[in-house]
Amino acid sequence: MRVASHSHRLDGSAGGCGTVNGAQTAWDLLHEEAMFPRITTSCEDLDNILGGGINCKEVTEIGGVPGIGKTQLGIQLAINVQIPVDYGGLGGKAIYIDTEGSFMVERALQIAEACIEDMSECGGLLRKDFQAFQLKMHPNNILENIFYFRVCSYTEQIALINYLDKFISEHKDVKIVIVDSVTFHFRQDFDDLALRTRLLSGMALKLMKLAKDFSLVVVLLNQVTTKYIDGSFQLTLALGDSWSHSCTNRVILYWNGNERYAYIDKSPSLRSASAPYSVTSKGIRNSASNCKRIKSGVVHLVISRVGHG
Amino acid sequence: MTPENLLHRLPSTQKCTFGCPVLDRCLGGGIPCNSITELVAESGCGKTQLCLQLALSAQLPPSLGGLSASSLYIHTEFSFPSRRLHQLSHAFITSHPRIFNNDPCDRIFVHAVYSADQLFDIMPKIESFLENMNAQLPVKLIVIDSIAALFRSEFENTPIELKRRSSLFFKISGKLKSLAKRFGLAVVVTNQVVDLMGHSEGMNGLKVGNLGSLVSSGRRVCPALGLAWANCVNSRLFLSRNEEVVGEENGSVDVSACGGGDFLPRQTRRRLHVVFAPHLPDSSCEFVIRREGVFGVER
Repeated sequence: MRVASHSHRLDGSAGGCGTVNGAQTAWDLLHEEAMFPRITTSCEDLDNILGGGINCKEVTEIGGVPGIGKTQLGIQLAINVQIPVDYGGLGGKAIYIDTEGSFMVERALQIAEACIEDMSECGGLLRKDFQAFQLKMHPNNILENIFYFRVCSYTEQIALINYLDKFISEHKDVKIVIVDSVTFHFRQDFDDLALRTRLLSGMALKLMKLAKDFSLVVVLLNQVTTKYIDGSFQLTLALGDSWSHSCTNRVILYWNGNERYAYIDKSPSLRSASAPYSVTSKGIRNSASNCKRIKSGVVHLVISRVGHG
Repeated sequence: MTPENLLHRLPSTQKCTFGCPVLDRCLGGGIPCNSITELVAESGCGKTQLCLQLALSAQLPPSLGGLSASSLYIHTEFSFPSRRLHQLSHAFITSHPRIFNNDPCDRIFVHAVYSADQLFDIMPKIESFLENMNAQLPVKLIVIDSIAALFRSEFENTPIELKRRSSLFFKISGKLKSLAKRFGLAVVVTNQVVDLMGHSEGMNGLKVGNLGSLVSSGRRVCPALGLAWANCVNSRLFLSRNEEVVGEENGSVDVSACGGGDFLPRQTRRRLHVVFAPHLPDSSCEFVIRREGVFGVER
């Protein structure tokens, strides 16, 4: 059975066979999915609505208000990518692009220590794999496997993203790129708005291409803003108009009462669903409580109106 | 373009002590460098006091939690509180007798700014000031007290003006963060509050950070300058002041039984809350303001 390929590989270097260039069999697609597992977020509920974790070869945008846990999730993923495949990681390294200065090394160390601790608790099964991980993995090793870049302007950001192609070819063990946050430097006035749109789309296309070419997970953290639509203020992700087509998946993080929630706002394969999560001293984890879901007006505002308007 | 070696940042980001171990403990060591920390409070809660105190403790050596640094203090609304600074510095010298050869007030550079555009315009001047600094005690702390005053009267409430204001937030924040990164600065900005009327009205009622609502002087308040500005700071701390009946918190007085408590003695309780910070859990600590400075209280 032949199925037209969903991939955007135009260079014919597809792994699978096919009489038509770029086409794959359904078998190939299934095999491919097994070959490219997802990265766990360390929160089971969140992993579940994500179909097992954050997917590779795709760009996932994650947005929310300050303090909701975007940077926390970014750091968690930069660490989780290093976990062996059988335990929810990709056994690879991370590129963390910090545009706002939110990355705090002591927090990354804390999350790394907890990750190693949790790994030793889940013990048993593939003992030789995780023992190797334990031996190799001191929290300092985990930090060493994060290639950290700090950019202070939009020109630095664009230059860096253009450079990633070369960097990743030289560091084939990189499996995730995280940009925290992707829009901060673009939220100033540009005299030429068309230029800003071009720069943002160009950047988005570059990142998508990197995701596909190198089979990477690409996670873009974004801020939220208010937009005045139909006589009222609505919550939307920043720079929506320049950006809306550029991501494969979009996840919104929001408060429901005193609990943190994640909502799948856009995805070609996942259904819209929400899941609670928490930010603990160990990092991102399952939500502790089974408290009543508070239906507040703000929650409805966020869920029903979030998007790129 | 080479990645930075994170191991060089270990064991933790450099911080500037408040000069009080209780406050430092609540905040993981003090105010972090290479970062913008915002202090939000209504008037009279201690924002300026804390900033003056930081400008003094920044001069301490790293072994005592300081930065061995001078400070740049940008004030915007009122004239600089020099009398209070002198009072604090006397207490400071007394508690650190061997550290200072000169008057610590000499290491605090004061500049007045009156508008947001002016603040952005003097950034190049600030940058060259930092570049040409005395190597012995370079500036490593910048205080802007308050940022709110620069924006509140100048912009009309139209979409275009609000957009221009918002754009200035990001320009100023972007430049401050870039200076913070380049010179390893701790940047502290103070912000004011606005009252929340009615029940979580619109966007002002949107929960941002750990606290469901910020309460001060018995009123629900929210930080000025809105969601856009909240996206421009790395950490937000809230100082609250509330009147409590003496004995209420430990249950020794039943306020309702005393006819509503109108004639019961009250005291002012002040708290410092972490609203959001990338390195801190939801935490708070009580503090008092004395002649010698601001001190955390452990109860």
